[in-house]
Amino acid sequence: MSVDVLTAGHYLILSAILFCLGLTGVLLRRNIIVMLMSIELMLNAVNLAFVTFSYFNQNIDGQIMVLFVMAVAAAEAAVGLAIAVSLYKKFKDLNISLFEHLRG
Amino acid sequence: MTDIILFYFLATMTVLTGVGVVMSENPLFSALYLVLSMTGVAGLFFLLQAPFVGAVQILVYAGAVMVLFVLVIMLIDINKSGEKYIGGNAAALFKGLAIGIFSGLVSAVVLRSPIVAKPALSNGSYTVLEIAKVLFTKYVLAFELLGIILLVIPIGVVALSRIKGGTHER
Repeated sequence: MSVDVLTAGHYLILSAILFCLGLTGVLLRRNIIVMLMSIELMLNAVNLAFVTFSYFNQNIDGQIMVLFVMAVAAAEAAVGLAIAVSLYKKFKDLNISLFEHLRG
Repeated sequence: MTDIILFYFLATMTVLTGVGVVMSENPLFSALYLVLSMTGVAGLFFLLQAPFVGAVQILVYAGAVMVLFVLVIMLIDINKSGEKYIGGNAAALFKGLAIGIFSGLVSAVVLRSPIVAKPALSNGSYTVLEIAKVLFTKYVLAFELLGIILLVIPIGVVALSRIKGGTHER
């Protein structure tokens, strides 16, 4: 990795930083909505890695995969937010520890 | 030279707003930081000669998904939610350790792989026509399955939001 020319390493390390940031958010926050946003951050980091490999390997498949990941991420956000809303209706709070009261 | 400056600008913006997403006490600020982070990643897509993916990123993420998040935040009372971070120093220590080990693993793999030193090429970007040709021939089955998912998800979301009270009540 050199400083004066952009290499694949620049993008891949940025992607790794973003992914670990999202992982930190998922593990350390308690609010379900913030956790879902951190998951979106992680998916974004993976998309960045896909496009990087697509560009540096001259292969179009990476960009197609990004489109699939985006569609699944949007669907996942919709379901996660629906669960968050139903949890809020029952407990009037969005803390992740409330999930343990959901049995039965 | 311009693309290096642009890359470092976008990378700094993306990482700083990402920290904002994780650290903000107010979920609404997290959502607004997330819009900036998504826009930064879209700019990086443009820098990587993928303008179609960048445009879809702005439309789908910064547009549709963020509107969904902000609408749900509007439905709830954000000032009432109690603890912001996980409790217990031991749990936080182990989770921090796990994150550290994972990030070390990822960076070791990235730095040792031969692709790291590959310099940028100066070729044109793929057109929408080329992307569509691959999407509707090689990946047509996955595309159809995606259509089924997008049909099932709204039904599931409607069913979930109609549940009142516990999981077994109607």
